Amino acid sequence: MSTLTQAARPSLLRRWGGLLLWLLLLALLAIYPYTGVTGSALFTATQVFVLVTLASNWNLIGGMTGYVDFGHAVFFGLGAYSMGILVTRVPLAFSPELSFWQALPLAGLVAALFALIIGLPTLRLKGPYFSIAMLGTFVAMREIIRILRPITGGGTGLDLPPVLNRVNEYYFMLGLMGLVVALIWWIRRSEFGYTLIAIREDEIGAEMRGINTTMHKIIAFMIAAFFTGIVGAFWAWQNTYIDPDVVFIEQRTVEMVMMSMLGGLGTVWGPPLGAVVIYFLQDVVWGNLLNFHLMALGILLILLVLFLPEGILGSLGDPSSTSLGRLLRRAGRRQE
Amino acid sequence: MNSQQPLLEGRDVYKFFGGLAAVNGVDFAVYPGEIVGLIGPNGSGKTTLFDCLTRLQTIDKGQIFFKGQEITRVRPYQVARMGLARTFQVIRVYRKMTVLENMLISRQWRGEGLLNMLRPSHPDTERRARHLIQFLQLEHLTDELAGHLSGGQRRLLEIGMALMPDPDILLLDEATSGINPTLIEIIKDRIRTLNREQGKTFLLIEHNINFIADLCSRVYVLNFGEKLAEGTPEEIMENEAVIEAYFGA
Ligand SMILES: Nc1ncnc2c1ncn2[C@@H]1O[C@H](COP(=O)(O)OP(=O)(O)OP(=O)(O)O)[C@@H](O)[C@H]1O
Ligand SMILES: [Mg+2]
Repeated sequence: MSTLTQAARPSLLRRWGGLLLWLLLLALLAIYPYTGVTGSALFTATQVFVLVTLASNWNLIGGMTGYVDFGHAVFFGLGAYSMGILVTRVPLAFSPELSFWQALPLAGLVAALFALIIGLPTLRLKGPYFSIAMLGTFVAMREIIRILRPITGGGTGLDLPPVLNRVNEYYFMLGLMGLVVALIWWIRRSEFGYTLIAIREDEIGAEMRGINTTMHKIIAFMIAAFFTGIVGAFWAWQNTYIDPDVVFIEQRTVEMVMMSMLGGLGTVWGPPLGAVVIYFLQDVVWGNLLNFHLMALGILLILLVLFLPEGILGSLGDPSSTSLGRLLRRAGRRQE
Repeated sequence: MNSQQPLLEGRDVYKFFGGLAAVNGVDFAVYPGEIVGLIGPNGSGKTTLFDCLTRLQTIDKGQIFFKGQEITRVRPYQVARMGLARTFQVIRVYRKMTVLENMLISRQWRGEGLLNMLRPSHPDTERRARHLIQFLQLEHLTDELAGHLSGGQRRLLEIGMALMPDPDILLLDEATSGINPTLIEIIKDRIRTLNREQGKTFLLIEHNINFIADLCSRVYVLNFGEKLAEGTPEEIMENEAVIEAYFGA
């Protein structure tokens, strides 16, 4: 367990153990492409890294801060479209045509900026109201992208120049995943992380005790949006084609929520664990039953809510783990 | 008796819930170094007045001042940072954090940048937290989750959290309810000590009239959102209107 304390000085291993294990795992994964694996195995691994990164990001706002974002894929979509628009020749006066590396941080910034703009009103809402407002934002953004045909290509979409290869993609996502999870680990044991959990546990109490809750929520939201936007930008490049229906899909948010839930909302290692488990469940168990894919995901969600509400790590006793029901119920706690 | 400026003051404060005037034109002042009581029957508006004074509730009419500065529209976290702390009738602790973590995160915030906050708590903060935990006799629960504490223990923790930032004024809303008599005596003693030795100001909502009589120099009585009486505990207990409000006509 991470701890806020310094004077207590828990052993070095306890304080840094999590990060050390993570770095070790990353080092092992860095060797993987040299073990003679096929391109498709690297592609699979890259997909897992994408999911781990998305779940960890979602967990920062959804699990730690307690704002269950049912529209978080909007930031993925904004990142993807920022990339698409910035690297292709869009017939506009400002048409920039940047390189992948130039467009990448901008895609993250667009997502973060949008999080700021949309977060100011929506993060005032509690429990399910926030969730639904974000779902609405997601759906609205998809339509806006569809309508802004001159810039976004509308329903026809945009084609991106294929540049990255499988190995590059693998290392890019490995690095991004490594960075994001390490950042979340760091945040969780910092005072900032504790203020987020405090906001989740009792927002009014936190505000009344001198924590600028609005600012902390917005910052957490912007960080989560920034990296989700980066992942979206990467995905657009990897996929070399984007249109509203492949980028803005609800399932992406559902996956982020479920992976975090399965692993343990609000924990550092739960969402990565949940992402790996769900990916392989999807791939191995029902990968062949394509028509039942979404149904199986739905059934898993129901089973989770019923039987494992605090996720794997929660049931193993991680105290920072919480349940979706608990977060959504807070709507009634606005004032007492 | 008071030529000084009040530490915390409400002028002509109104708060409506629908048609109900929960606080109905109350003038209210607490001076530095005082221990003031706030009493009244259930539903008379005591908690609501607390909420107004601490900016948890936005008032419909009137003005609130703290340390001579108008705070009627100031955000609650800023009021807290100015040196005001309170506890809640419906306890607010962070249930999935340990007792120690609850205390640490209730420290004095000064608007530090995010980069500073990316560190663990300062050792001085932890020293203070552990000291207060001991002061409230919660040592054996230091690493227990707040959600696992009993009601009385949570109330003590909440008092500790309110003391953590070293505020100038403490507003305690029924701090002794559900706490055993020996501990109540200890809390009483602590309040007196903090008041005499450190000059802390207190505003106490209490149904425990002995507690009020023992500690307070002045008492306000609310009834149906209005100020019914104001005076020393002795004056209040002999006041006809107060007796009638409490025991009914
Ligand atoms: N959030 C709210 N919404 C609507 N009415 C409220 C709200 N809070 C309080 N009230 C009403 O305002 C009145 C005053 O309530 P308040 O909690 O301030 O009383 P109190 O003096 O603290 O009572 P008690 O001694 O029982 O704690 C009550 O009639 C109550 O029903
Ligand atoms: Mg009350």
